[in-house]
Amino acid sequence: MSDVADATTPITSRHDPRYEVVMYRHVGIDGAWTLDYYRGHGGYASARKALTTMTPAQVIDEVKASKLRGRGGAGFPTGVKWSFMPPVDGRQRLLVVNADESEPGSFKDRYIMEDDPHQLIEGIIIGCYAIQATKAFIYIRGEYGLGYRRLVQAVEEARAAGILGKNALGSDVEVDITVHRGAGAYICGEETALMNSLEGLRGNPRLKPPFPAQAGVYGLPTTINNVTTMTSVVHIIERGADWFASMGTEDSKGTKLYQISGTVVRPGVYELPMGATFRELIYDLAGGPKGEAKGFFPGGSSTPPFPWRDEFLDMPMDYGTLANSGSMLGTGGVIVIPKEKDIVDAMYNVVRFYAHESCGKCTPCREGISTWLPKMYQKLLAGLGTREDLDLMEDMVRNTRGTAFCPLADACAMPVQASFKWFRDEYEYLVDHGTPMYTKNDWWEA
Amino acid sequence: MVELETVPPFFADKQELLDEILGRYPEYGRRSAVMPLLREVQHAERYVSEARLAEIGEIVGMHATEVKGVMSFYSEYHGEPVGTYHLQVCSTLSCSLAGSDELYDYLVEKLGIVNGEVDAEGRFSLQKVECLGSCGSGPVIQVNDTYYERVSRSRCDALIEALSRDEVPEPWRARGGDNEGADKADFLMHTVAAGEGETR
Amino acid sequence: MKVTINDVSMDFAPGTSVIDAVFAAGYDVPYFCSQEYMSPIGACRMCLARVGAPRKDREGNWILDEETGEPKIFYFPNMMATCTTQVMEGMVVDTLSDDVKRVQNGMVEFTLINHPLDCPVCDKGGACELQDRAYEYGTGESRFVFDKRHQEKHHPLSEVITLDRERCIHCKRCVRYFEEVPGDGVLDFIERGGHTYIGTLEDGLPSNFTGNITDICPVGALLDTTSRFRGRNWEYDHTRSTGMDDAGGSAIVIDARTGRIERIKGALNPEVNKTWIDDGTRFGHEYVDADDRLRSPLVRKDGELVPATWEEAAQVVRDRLGGLSGKDIGIALRADATLEEGVAAKALAEALGTGQLDHAPRPAASVVPQQAPATLTDLATADAIFVVGDVTEEVPIADLRIKDALKGVTPPEMMAHGVPIADLRLKEHPVFHRERLSVAAPYRVDLMKHAGRTASYPAGGEAALFAALQAIAEAQDAKAEDAEAAAVQLDDGQRAALGMSLADAEALVRGLREADNAVVVIGGFVLATRAAAAAAATFAKAVGAKQLILGPMANSYGLELLHVGPSHDRYAYPGMLEGARALILSNLDPAQDPDVRATLEQKDFLVVHDLFLTETAKIADVVLPARSVYERDGTTVNLEGRFLPLQAAPVDAGESEDFVGVVGALGDALGQRLEGRSVRSARRVLRKRFELDPAELGPSGELYRPKGRPAPRVSIRSDEAVGGNVLVTPSMLRVEYLERNPHLLALSGGSRLRVNPADAAQHGLGDGEAVSLRVGGVVRRARVRLDAGVPAGLMLLPTLPEQPVGLAHADLATLTRDERELEVAG
Ligand SMILES: Cc1cc2nc3c(=O)[nH]c(=O)nc-3n(C[C@H](O)[C@H](O)[C@H](O)COP(=O)(O)O)c2cc1C
Ligand code: SF4
Ligand code: FES
Repeated sequence: MSDVADATTPITSRHDPRYEVVMYRHVGIDGAWTLDYYRGHGGYASARKALTTMTPAQVIDEVKASKLRGRGGAGFPTGVKWSFMPPVDGRQRLLVVNADESEPGSFKDRYIMEDDPHQLIEGIIIGCYAIQATKAFIYIRGEYGLGYRRLVQAVEEARAAGILGKNALGSDVEVDITVHRGAGAYICGEETALMNSLEGLRGNPRLKPPFPAQAGVYGLPTTINNVTTMTSVVHIIERGADWFASMGTEDSKGTKLYQISGTVVRPGVYELPMGATFRELIYDLAGGPKGEAKGFFPGGSSTPPFPWRDEFLDMPMDYGTLANSGSMLGTGGVIVIPKEKDIVDAMYNVVRFYAHESCGKCTPCREGISTWLPKMYQKLLAGLGTREDLDLMEDMVRNTRGTAFCPLADACAMPVQASFKWFRDEYEYLVDHGTPMYTKNDWWEA
Repeated sequence: MVELETVPPFFADKQELLDEILGRYPEYGRRSAVMPLLREVQHAERYVSEARLAEIGEIVGMHATEVKGVMSFYSEYHGEPVGTYHLQVCSTLSCSLAGSDELYDYLVEKLGIVNGEVDAEGRFSLQKVECLGSCGSGPVIQVNDTYYERVSRSRCDALIEALSRDEVPEPWRARGGDNEGADKADFLMHTVAAGEGETR
Repeated sequence: MKVTINDVSMDFAPGTSVIDAVFAAGYDVPYFCSQEYMSPIGACRMCLARVGAPRKDREGNWILDEETGEPKIFYFPNMMATCTTQVMEGMVVDTLSDDVKRVQNGMVEFTLINHPLDCPVCDKGGACELQDRAYEYGTGESRFVFDKRHQEKHHPLSEVITLDRERCIHCKRCVRYFEEVPGDGVLDFIERGGHTYIGTLEDGLPSNFTGNITDICPVGALLDTTSRFRGRNWEYDHTRSTGMDDAGGSAIVIDARTGRIERIKGALNPEVNKTWIDDGTRFGHEYVDADDRLRSPLVRKDGELVPATWEEAAQVVRDRLGGLSGKDIGIALRADATLEEGVAAKALAEALGTGQLDHAPRPAASVVPQQAPATLTDLATADAIFVVGDVTEEVPIADLRIKDALKGVTPPEMMAHGVPIADLRLKEHPVFHRERLSVAAPYRVDLMKHAGRTASYPAGGEAALFAALQAIAEAQDAKAEDAEAAAVQLDDGQRAALGMSLADAEALVRGLREADNAVVVIGGFVLATRAAAAAAATFAKAVGAKQLILGPMANSYGLELLHVGPSHDRYAYPGMLEGARALILSNLDPAQDPDVRATLEQKDFLVVHDLFLTETAKIADVVLPARSVYERDGTTVNLEGRFLPLQAAPVDAGESEDFVGVVGALGDALGQRLEGRSVRSARRVLRKRFELDPAELGPSGELYRPKGRPAPRVSIRSDEAVGGNVLVTPSMLRVEYLERNPHLLALSGGSRLRVNPADAAQHGLGDGEAVSLRVGGVVRRARVRLDAGVPAGLMLLPTLPEQPVGLAHADLATLTRDERELEVAG
C-alpha cells in the first residue's frame, strides 16, 4: 500500500500502519477496475467459496454472526435484514444495491465503484445467493458518471467471463445485474424512494408496510443494501465472521470506511476498525484541522454536529455511542467546521441542501424544511433577524421533528437544533449586530 | 387547421440502443426505462423537449405528463437546452469550505453568465448543484458527465480555455490525501472529442 | 382488535386504519390527503396522533406495567399518521393531548404559509376543508412573514376545469384519482420540494371522468369552470337525485341557486357510482338554463304558436282528440322518463283507448336480462369480464367499476361514519390486472386501453361473434368430456366474425368459464338485433357468466319493466309516427328527418312536450313545456334493476310540467281522475306493481328482481341485421343538448363524425371540418374527426334519441360542408 501522497494516489493516501486496509486495498491503483487485475489479486474467491461450499442459509448465518450492520446510514444488522426475505415461493426475488450516495460528507462508495467495481459485483453475487435472488439492480447516483461506466464495463466483463449469468462462476446459481443510473435526487437514496425511482415513478418515498422484503421493487421480495455493506460481505465470507467480529466495539463490528472533509489537512476516506475515535481520524490520519476548528458533523450533514471538545473528539465512532450522545454515526462522514465559518452561514448551506432535496410529498418538509426554514436563514443573514425569529425557528423546526413522512426532514431538523444548542451565541450575535460573528468569505486557497 | 411542427422521433433510428435499454428491465417493469431514455435524450440534445417526453411516454407506456413528472423531479434533466459544456459547481458545505462559492463567483465573472444561464454562443452553461460526492476533493466542477476536482484558479483557467477550444481535458486524478500539487495544473492535456465516452 | 381511542374502547377488524377507528369512536382528526375510495398516502401529516401499543416478550406474553399489572403501553417515538397506521390489539390512540394539538397547529401553519387565503373571492369558501380545519385546529395566526409562493391563478386545465395553483395544498388527491380511478395518468406533480405543482402536458385532460377532481379537491384549487364565480356554497340548495344521462343511475347532487342549476356534483351511492360521475353527467346541465327554454304552453292560433295557459292548452287537446277514435292516437315518451311518467302515460293511453304507446329509443332486444343478471358490484368484483360494445360511452360508471375489478380490491365495508376514509388495502400506483378484461367492438373504444385482450369484429356482426364464441365453448365442452374430440374448428366466416385470433378467442372463453365471477357486458350494438342478444345470452349461460345489459337510456329498464309499450308491433314507435292520426310526443324530435316531418305535417293533431321549440314542436298544434330531468320527482331503474329516486331541484322552470303533470292537466280537462295524475297517485300504482315503495327508497336505492316470466315484449324493429355505412355509436354526451351546453361543446368540439383518415382523404374531408349529412333520414351536423381507430368504409356518429345505436345508411350525396358552422368557428 502506497504511503505517499501525490496527485495520482487515491483519497485514502494515508493509513494508520496499525490497521490493514481491506475494502479499499485496490482503490487508487490504476487499472484495478479490470477483471484481470481483480482476479489476479484473488478476486471472486469469496463468491466461489459461498456458492460452492455454503448454503444460502449458511451465508446468512455467517453474516449474522459477523454482526455486520448496514453501512448506508441506519446501521441495521445485515444478516437479520436478509433473513426477513419471505420463504422462496417461485416469485422473482431482487437485490438492490443502494449506490445513491448523496449525503453531504459521504464519498466512500464512489471510489469502490470507480476503482474496484468487481469487489462490489462479488459482494452482489454472494448477497443474491444468500437471499436467493437472481437479479440485482445497482442504483447509482446520476452524477457518478465514471463510476457508472466502470460498473457497466465490469458487469459486461463479468458476464462475458461467466461470473454473472445463468451459471454464475460455473455454479447452477443465476445472478444478473442491471446498473440503473439516477439523475440527481438525494431522496432517491432513501430505500422506498429508490424503489419508486427504479420503477420509473417520481422519487417520492412510499409507504411502509409493505416492507421491501414483502413487496419491494415491482412488488417483488426485495432486499436493499448499501455498496459498502455488500463489499464488507466479500471479506466476511472470505475470512470468516470471527475475523470481522474480532474488530470493533460491542455493538459495531468490523472495519468501516470513514470519510473526512471540511477544513482538515488531508481529507479523504480512511478504513478503520469501528470504534476508533474521532481524534484518531481527524488528527492521526487526516492531519488535523487546518486552522482552528469549532465543531464537526460526526457522520454526514444529517447527523447533529458536535462542538470541538475533547469529550466528543475522544468518542469512539460506533453506532451505539453516537446514538446515545444525541447524534448518529450515519455514513461516517466527518465534516470539520472551522472557527472562521459562521455557524449560521454553515447551517444555511446545510438547510439549503435539504430544501433543494425535499421531495415535496409531505407538508412539514415541503413547507417547513424546503420553504420556510431557508427563508428564515436568509433573513438572519441579511441582518434582518430578531431574537423572536430565533425562537420561531426553533419552534418551527420542532414541528418538523418526527412529523414528516420520511427521515429527510429530521435529517435537516436535527442538525439545525444541534446548532442552536451548541452555537446559539453566533445566532444571537448575528441578530443583535446585524452582521455575523465570523465574516471570512474566501475559502478558495489556490 | 394548425400546422404541427413535426420532429423526427429520436429513437426511430436507434432500435438497437432502445432494445438494449428496454432489455435491462423485465417486461412488466418497462416503465423503469424512462430514466435511461431521458438520459439519452438529455445527453444528445442537451435538454428534453415536450416532443421527446411524449415519445418516451409512448415507448414505456406512460402519459407525457407522467414522463414530465419524472423528468422534472431530477436535477440532471433540463427542460431548456444547456450549453455544450454544462458546468456544475457543487456548493454544499464541504466544497464551500474548499472555496466553491469563490470558484462559482470566478466562473460568473469569467463567463458572464450566472446560475441557470447559457452563454450567447451556447458553449457554456452554469449550474450550482448540491453535493457531488467530491467532499474530500473539492471544489469540484462537473463538466457534463466528468468531474474536475480540486479546482484551483489556474486549473479553472486552463479548463475553461481548453473547453473554449473544444478540447476536453482528461480529468486529473487529483485524489491526493493532501493538497500537494493541487495547483500544478498538471493534468494531461489529452483531449478527446467533446462528449465522447460519456454516454448513459 | 380492541383499540382505545381517548376514552372509548371499540373492536375493529384487522387492517382497519387508525383514522377510521378514531372516526368510528366518534372523535375527529383533521385530514387532507386521505379520501374515500382512494389509497391512503400519509402526505399531509394533518392526521397525526400519539399512538401506543402493548408488546409481547420473547415467550409471547404481554409485557406488563409493574404498577398496574396491565399490559404496558409502548408509545411510538414519533406521532403517527393515523391514516397509514393499522390498528393493533390493545392499541391506545390519543388525539386530544396538548402534544397532539401542538403538532396539529404546526401542520395547519405549514399548510397555510403558501396558501393565498383568498377565501373571500374563492368559490370553495364555506365548503373548504382547509378553511374548516384551520378554524378547528389552527391557532388563527401566521408567523410566516415572507412573500407567499406566487403561481398561476386561473389556469384552464381543460375547458371545464380551472386550476388555481396558489391554492393547492399538495394533498395529491387529484393526481392519485386519475391514476387509481379511471387509470389515466393525465395529471401529475411537476418539479419537487417546495416547487412542486400539479400540471398536465396532455392536450387538456384526456379522460372521461375529469370533473371528479373538483369534488375531491379539499380547497379551491380545482374548480368546475361551468360554475366558477357563480355562487358561494352556502347559497346553494343541494338536491340529491339520480343522474339521468345514461342507464348507470349515478347519485348526483344538484346545486341550484336562485332558481338556476349552477353545478352537478357526484354523490355517494356505494352500490352504484361510489362517489364518481362522468363528465357528461357533471357538465351536461347547462341546456336547462338556455335562453330559448320553453316556459309556458303554446297553442297554434291562426297558424302561429302563441302562449296559452295550461287550462287553455288542455282544453284544446281535449277538443281536438275528442273527434278521433282512441286507437288513432299515439303516445311516446323518451326513455329517460320516470316510472311515474310511465304510469301516467299508460293511464292516459288507457283512458283514450289506444294501444299506440311506446318509449324511445327502445332496442330490438330486451334490456332486462332473462337470467343471471349482474349488479355493478358483481362487475366491480369480477375476475373475468367480457365487454361487447363501448361501455365508457354507454354507461360510463360501468367503465369505472370495471377498473375496480382490474385493481382487484373488493368494496370496503361501511363503518359507523360511512365509507372508510383510509382503506389500507388500496395502494398508490395500483397494478391494473388487464388480463381480466376483454373488449370487443367494431372500432377502437376507449376501454381497450385497459384490456388484456381486444377484438375488432365487423360492425353488425354481433350475432356472428357470439355464435362463433359459442362454437368454441361447445368444442371445449366436447373436449372436456372426451379428450379425443376434435379440436376447435371454425370456418373462415366464423373466424372473421371473432375479430381476434382463434387462440385469443379460445383463451377468452376458457378464462370466462374458469373464472369464479365472470360477467359479460352486453352493449347497444348487441341489443340492436334480437338474434345477437339471444346469442349473447346463450353464450353467457354457456360459460356461466352473469350478464350486464347496457340499456340505451336512463330508464330503459324501468319503462320496459312497466310495459310502457305498444299492444302490437305496428303501434310501436316509430311505426306510430306513420300510422297514428294524432300524436302526443314527450321529449322526442322525430321531425329532424325531413320525410318524417312531412308525414307529421299531415297529422290531424300533434302535441309536443319538450324543453325547447324543436323541429317537431315547431309544427305542433300544442306545445307543452317540459321539465328537465333535474326538475322531476320520481323513480328510475338503472341497468342493474335498481330503483333509484329522482328529486326535483328548486329550479325556475316557468310553467313546465313533467309527463305526470301533462296527464294531470289532460285528466282534468277530460274530467277524469287518471292514475298517475300526480306523483303520489302514480306511486300507488308502482307500489302495487313492484311491491316496493318508491317513496321510501334508501340512498342506495333498491334492487328489484322481477318474479316469474316476463310478459312477452313487442319488438320495435325487424330482426334482420341491417347493413350500413355509418355506425351510430353510444355517446356519453347527449348530442341533442350539446349545442346548448357551451362548456361541453367547447370540450368536445361538437358532435363528431369520426372517419378513417384514408376514407376522409377520399371524401375530401379534413380534420375539424363542419359538415352535415343525412343519416337514416335524419339530418346530422357534425365535425369531422380523423381517427385511425375507425374501420375503413365506416363512419361513426353519436346517437340521438331518434337515432338509435347500430348500423345506419347515410346518403353520401348529402354530405356537405356546413357553412353555418364554419362561420361560427371563424
Ligand atoms: C434521505 C435518505 C437518504 C439516504 N441515502 C442513502 C444513500 O445514498 N445510500 C445508502 O446506502 N443509503 C441511504 N439511505 C439509507 C437507506 O434508506 C437504507 O437504509 C440503506 O440503503 C440500507 O442499506 P444498509 O442496510 O446496507 O445500510 C438514505 C436514507 C434516507 C432517509
Ligand atoms: S420528509 Fe416528506 S417531503 Fe421530505 S423527502 Fe421525506 S417524504 Fe418527501
Ligand atoms: S397524512 Fe394526510 S390524512 Fe393522514
